[in-house]
Amino acid sequence: MARDGESRSFRRKFCKLCFDKVERIDYKDDRRLTRFITDRGKIVPRRISGTCARHQSQITEAVKRARILALLPFTSDQYR
Amino acid sequence: MKLYETTIIYDPGLEETRVAEEVERITQPIAQAGGEVIEVQRWGKRKLAYIIRKRRDGTYVHVKHKSPPALIGEMDRRFRLNESVLRHLTVVAQKESPRPVEEATKGTEAPAVAAAPAASAE
Repeated sequence: MARDGESRSFRRKFCKLCFDKVERIDYKDDRRLTRFITDRGKIVPRRISGTCARHQSQITEAVKRARILALLPFTSDQYR
Repeated sequence: MKLYETTIIYDPGLEETRVAEEVERITQPIAQAGGEVIEVQRWGKRKLAYIIRKRRDGTYVHVKHKSPPALIGEMDRRFRLNESVLRHLTVVAQKESPRPVEEATKGTEAPAVAAAPAASAE
């Protein structure tokens, strides 16, 4: 009972962008980027999304640029 | 000379003719400085993710251009002075790396499609 983690089936996380063979993620591709931000507008950490280092740094840069252009929110309105 | 991408968000109240004027005001200095405008994309009116200067929408224009780096600072200054520009962003454009996988499939598909109508015609 205490060891809940053991009974749960373990699935290895993988980088979704590597799986889709994305060469470079673009800041204009806001629909793809929304998958990597939380409902509050935060960037999802690597340990949650399973993204590889190379793609995570690309996501970070792209999300920040998209925020400047109001394609993505800095924060969600409902929490303001 | 470097390859840049500039995106500008204009006031949504701007008429179509005025937007065309504004685009002209970007492309002309580029050409004058010896640069080259590669592509002008008009994304049209889009909803903003957050309110900028009390506006909920914005008219997006995306310009791909080759310009001398010295011009970028001047462009930035002009956007800041321009009241109808809500936001602007210039970045060094990434060269799209050719995707060998896609190219390969395209290469095999194209002749097949071309051959099919010819075969049916005969």
